This record gives sequence, structure tokens and C-alpha cells, in this order.
Amino acid sequence: MIRRRTLDVSGLPDIDVSSQEPIWWGQICLCCIEGAMFCILIACYFYFRLSLDMWPPPGTQLPHVAIPTVTLILAIVSCLGSYRASEGAKKNERGAMLRGLLLNLALGCAFLILRGYAWYTLNFNWASDVHGSTVWTILGLHTMDATADLLFTAVLIVALIFGRTGRSMRLAVHVDSVVWYFLVLIWIPLYIVIYWAPRFVGAPA
Amino acid sequence: MTPVTEPPLGEIDDEGERRALERSWRRRPGIAGWFTVTTHQALGKRYIVTAFVFLLIGGVEALFMRLQLARPDNPLIGPDKYNQLFTTHGTTMMFLFAVPMMEGMGVYLVPLMLGTRNVAFPRLNAFGYWMFLFGGIFLYAGFLTNTGPDAGWFAYTPLSGPQFSPGKRVDIWAQMITFTEISALCVATELIATILKMRAPGMSLTRIPMFCWSMLVQSFMVVFAMPAVMVASNIFLLLDRTVGTHFSNAAEGGDPLLYQHVFWFFGHPEVYIIFIPALGMVSSIVETHTRRAIFGYPAMVLSLVSTGFIGFGLWVHHMFATGLPQIGEAYFTAASMMIAVASGVQIFCWIATMWSGRVHMRTPMYFVLGFVFIFVLGGLTGVMLAAIPLDLQVHDTFFVVAHFHYVLIGGALFPLFGAFYHWFPKFTGRMMNDALGKINFWILFVGFNLTFFPMHILGLKGMTRRIYTYPAEMGWGPANALATVGACIILIGGIVFIANALASRVHGEIAGPDPWDGGTLEWAADSPPRNYNFVNLPVATSRYPMWTPPEERVVVTGVRHDRREALVTTLMDAEPPIWPFITALLLGLGLVGATFRFSWYYPAFGATGIGLIGWFWPRRPEGVRS
Repeated sequence: MIRRRTLDVSGLPDIDVSSQEPIWWGQICLCCIEGAMFCILIACYFYFRLSLDMWPPPGTQLPHVAIPTVTLILAIVSCLGSYRASEGAKKNERGAMLRGLLLNLALGCAFLILRGYAWYTLNFNWASDVHGSTVWTILGLHTMDATADLLFTAVLIVALIFGRTGRSMRLAVHVDSVVWYFLVLIWIPLYIVIYWAPRFVGAPA
Repeated sequence: MTPVTEPPLGEIDDEGERRALERSWRRRPGIAGWFTVTTHQALGKRYIVTAFVFLLIGGVEALFMRLQLARPDNPLIGPDKYNQLFTTHGTTMMFLFAVPMMEGMGVYLVPLMLGTRNVAFPRLNAFGYWMFLFGGIFLYAGFLTNTGPDAGWFAYTPLSGPQFSPGKRVDIWAQMITFTEISALCVATELIATILKMRAPGMSLTRIPMFCWSMLVQSFMVVFAMPAVMVASNIFLLLDRTVGTHFSNAAEGGDPLLYQHVFWFFGHPEVYIIFIPALGMVSSIVETHTRRAIFGYPAMVLSLVSTGFIGFGLWVHHMFATGLPQIGEAYFTAASMMIAVASGVQIFCWIATMWSGRVHMRTPMYFVLGFVFIFVLGGLTGVMLAAIPLDLQVHDTFFVVAHFHYVLIGGALFPLFGAFYHWFPKFTGRMMNDALGKINFWILFVGFNLTFFPMHILGLKGMTRRIYTYPAEMGWGPANALATVGACIILIGGIVFIANALASRVHGEIAGPDPWDGGTLEWAADSPPRNYNFVNLPVATSRYPMWTPPEERVVVTGVRHDRREALVTTLMDAEPPIWPFITALLLGLGLVGATFRFSWYYPAFGATGIGLIGWFWPRRPEGVRS
């Protein structure tokens, strides 16, 4: 036994389902990494755009906006599911978490399926020209991120069904919603760039 | 300085705590322990040792190049092998030595300096290490099978594109970047979270040790710079080469110049990613060996942060010879000169610290002084190169080679050697031999200047970089011979260092926890530190808690010792996990496969997803000890 001046922290909770947790900060860092990458791709898109007279190049259709706009609305609405799930996680309500995640998963999958359809109807691919390369890369990378997060959401749902509702599980639900907000938020400028920019910035007659 | 409310005196069962912590933080024995270790000391040491091995390999490659250039018309190494040598040398030094070495020092030292038990994400840390190791092995597997990359360490298109570099050489380079980049991003993320959220109680922003500040700034630079190299190497270059996109194909609207922009948007901050941690090391060494609080702490921190910001606004000065608009060039000239202000502030602060302190001239201080000398020379040629007329004249000559070796070896390697001598007692529990250390310093210092100073003159005389030989009439022979002699002296210096380290590890004087009377918290832990670092987490009662009188120091109680736990953080898993290793292995296999066939990405990402699910699957209800 030794006597020293002490600061007793035994009363603190093991895990706090909030932005106090390092994992929340780590997730924000990962969002910054992905966000930086997408910003660079947007810059590249306009760099290519400014060096060409015709954009998209001759023979390439303007990407249709109708279905992508519906998918954007779906994605924004799916954030309500994430929000419900993360509020449920903070208040430790298993039902709210499950319903929120299921809504998120369902709308997220609808978003991806519709995007896949719109993608399929494009009359150019990654090897057509530099416009095709850029658009396909942005779509591909964002789809990869969204798929990964929906997979993670599905795993969380399975774990919740199996009765895991401990604090670390709830923290995972909370952090999962942060990722989904980010993916939807970053999709808004990407959507504008891919579908509207060619119409506004020097569109061919 | 004491906290606002006086903490009470408490009884601590020191021995009981220690026993319980030993049990919770024990490593698994045997092979399984090797693959499942997640403690930051073990992983930091692995980073440091692995990166040092790559330094030796890269150094030997440099020596071969010097031998080839030692005399005119030398038939020793042919042009093809020479191309592979300089590309692999640059790639190794930048991606496999300098960055991982700095990350390793951060992984080892930051949690100790912050007074916590581990980094925020120990498993991510393990994953990052494995990715780094696999990336290095991948590059050298290519090099040893005559498939070493040969388009320079920045692989400019169109030379590196599918048309002019057929085969797999450049693909291996581009995918190796992916490995090391994932690793650097993992470490950056965990260090940011650690430094922001896991500091000892009482460690306000104004009490963070200088080295931790430098790692924080460096980590943020990694977060925003590394995505650019991902776009350049993995998207532009690799997709152009493997699936036929047209990012660098001018015939289909692409632009090779954009590759340079995106690469240098990463590449210039990369220099500061290497250099800023070295600045932190220098500050730590100076304040410890002068027994004085660093002069101008706020100015030092602000200049670190501003270096971090300005570092992103300099990239075009690598591209002055590409014919960009003059207004842009003028801006980047001004920014390149501005960064000298931030570096200058730090140099003056160190001089003021030494001036007003009591300098103990041990080996680490020798390396710091050598750093100041060499780095100032490198900085001066940097200011010269920021002027466009001079840059156009010496672009792609040995003048540039001399400049960046002065900046990188002077600015990063010398502080790093100083840091080895400074923290070796913490790593191993024993002191390095001081007399041998000083000899080591002088050999390296003389060898370095002998190698690289003549290159300034060679560059001004018109010797371009990356040529494998030159005719005798050019008159470059004597200076090149001198540089080769210098390279051999550097080799001797390296051997002396290794001999000193190996001998001191076994026979060195026992160091004890605090051999230098240091002020920061890493000196409160045992040497070498236990897996849990501190029996009772310390409270930072001042900027230099170890210089606070012992009776005023405070410790934390109530952190659980029956499992892996740290303060203001999540539980660290009690079971050392194999999943980070498996995930890295699966992703690594996929990335290697994808350099040959793009479709390997699909199974790779599927397998990685399975690995991650295994990694994150909640294992047991909380509060129940398995």
C-alpha cells in the first residue's frame, strides 16, 4: 500500500454511446479520407471538362436525371432510419434500433437497385472516353462504399436479432448511422456533378 | 502548478494492481501471440525494425547506383537494372522507410507521452502493420523477379502508362502504394483519435508534448493528402493500365498533366508528413537535453500547424517546367518561400532554448545540431528552387537530387538517429554507447556531406538525374567519384550504428525509467514499458509532469485492471484477435491479384468483408468476464 494524491474515475461508465467515444472520432476521420478523395475526383471532373470543347464528348448521351433524382430522394429518406436507429441506440431501445436499421437497409437497397438500373441504361462505359472513365469511377467508388455500409447494417441487424444489445453493440449502431449520413451527404454534390453539371456548364446544343 | 481542486490522498494497492494488470495485458505465448499482438509497444517496435530493414535495403540500392556512377562509361550495371534500382530506391525510402518509420515512432511514443495504455484502435494498428509488411514484400517480390518498377518513384504518365511501360512493373508500383497508404491512414486515424480523446486528465491543449503535436499535425496531413495518391496511382494509373480507362490518354480527352497535379498534391505534403514528426523529435530532444522548457511553445505549435496548412499549397513548384500559367507559378513561388518562415521560427526557438538552457552534449544533441546545419543548407537551396528562373535551369538535374537529400536526410534521418539514441533506453531498458554514438555521428555527417555536396555542383554543370552513365568528356568524373567515396563512408556509419545498437541491447548500461531526467510522461513508465504502460494512469499537472515535484503529482485510480481498459475510451478487447491479420492477408492477396486481373477485386472485397465481420462481431455481453 502506498499513499498518493489520486483522481478516482471508477464511477465513469465503461462505454458512452455518444461522440465522446474514440471510435466516433475515428469514423469522422474515415469520412474525411473518403470525402477528400471524392473532392479530388470532382476537381478532376472539371479539369477534364475545361480542357474539352464538347462535354460529354460527341456520341455520348447526357445522363438521364429522372431515376437518379428518385434515388437521391430515397437515400435522403433512408437517413430517417439511421437517425431512428441511433436515437434508439442512445436510449437503449432494441425495437427502435431494429426498425430504424431495417428501414435504412430497405431504402438503401432500393437506392442501389435503382442506381444500378440507371447505370445500366447509360450508353457509355469506363473505356469510352475520359468523361465515361470519370463518371464510372465516381459511381463505382460510391457504390462500393454504400454496399459496404449496407452490409455492415445487415450484420448489425443480425446481431440485434440474436439479442446483442450491449453498449458496444449500441455504439456500433450509432457509428453506423454516422457513416450513412456521410455517404448520403457526399452523394448530393456528386449527383449534381454527374447529372446536372453537363447540362449547365457548356452543354452541347 | 497544481490542479484547481486539490485531489485527495488515496490508498493504492500497488502490488495488487500490478499483478492484475500483468494478467489482463499478457500476450498470448508462441506463434499465436506473434500474429495476434495488439499492444502499441510491440507494434511500434515492429514498425521501427521493419522500416529500418527497408532503410538498409534502400541504402544498398543507393550504394549500387553510386558505384555505377563512380566513373564515366562504367559497365557495372546496365540501363534497365539502373532504372529499376533508382525507382525502387526512391519508392522504398519514401513509402517503406520514411513514413512507416515516423508512424512507428508515433505508435510507440504517443500513448506513453499522453499517459494512456494503448492507441485508440489497437486492432486497426495491427491491421495497418500487416498491410505495410505485405506491401513491402510485394514490391521486393517484383524487384527480385526482374519486375521491379522502372518509371521513377513518381511514375509520371505517359511514360508509366500502358503504351510506354508494358508488363507488370508499374502495376506493382501502383498497387504497392495502396498497401502502404492503407497502413498510413490506419495509423493516422488511430493517432488522431488517441491524441484528441485519450490524453491524461489535466493535459489541456497547452500541455500536449511537442512530439504529440507534431504527430497530430502529421496525421491530419496524411488524412487529407493520401487520398490524392490513391486517385493518382490506384485510379488514374492502375485503371488506365488494367481496364483501359482514359484518364491519362490525351487521344480520348484525358490529360497526363493532371496525374502530376494529383500526385504532387499528395507528394508535397508527403515531404512534410516525413519532416514534421522529425521536428517533434528535435523539440523533445532539445528540451530534455537542455533541461529547459521549450522556448516559445505557442509559436512552435502554431508554426507546426501552419506548416501543415501551407504544405498543401506548394505542389506546383514540382511542376514549374511543365508550362503552367504564370499567375499560378507566381502564387506557388510565394507560398514556397512562405514556408521558410514557419521553419525558421522553429529553428530560432530551438536556438533560444539551447542558449538559455544548460546543454548536455550527449549523442542525441550532436544529431540535432547536425540536423540544424544540414537542414538549413537544404532549406536554402529550397528557397533557390522556389525561384522559377533558377528552377528551370536546374530542373531534373543533380542539383535537385542534392537539395532533397539535404532536406530529407538532414531533416528526417538525422533527427531520427538522434531519436534512436534518445529513446533507445525506453525501447530496450539499456543506454546506447555514447562515445561510439559520437563517432557514429561524425562518420555519418562527413559521409553525408561528401556524398551530396558535390551533387550541387554536378547539377549546375548540367548532369541530369536518372542517367545510368556519362562520357568522360563531360568532366563529371571527379565529383562523382567523391560522392561515391562519401556513400561508402555513410555505409560505415550505418554499420557502426547497427553494431552500437546490437551491442548496447545486450551489454549497455541499465537505464532505469528516466535516464535523461526528461519532463514528459514516457519517462514515468518502466524501461522497457510494461504492456499496460502505467500501473496507475498519471495526471498531467503541468506541461512537464515529470518536472513537477513528486509530492504534487497525481495518479488516476478506478480504471479497471481485470480487463484491458483505458481512460475516456472504449474497452480494449481482452482476447488478442487474429482477425486483423486475416483481413490484411485476404485484402493483400486481392490487391496483389488485381495487379494482374481487375476481377480479383471482387473476391478480395468479399473476403475482406467477411474478415471485417469476424473482426467486429460482438463476442460477449458487456460486464461479464470470459
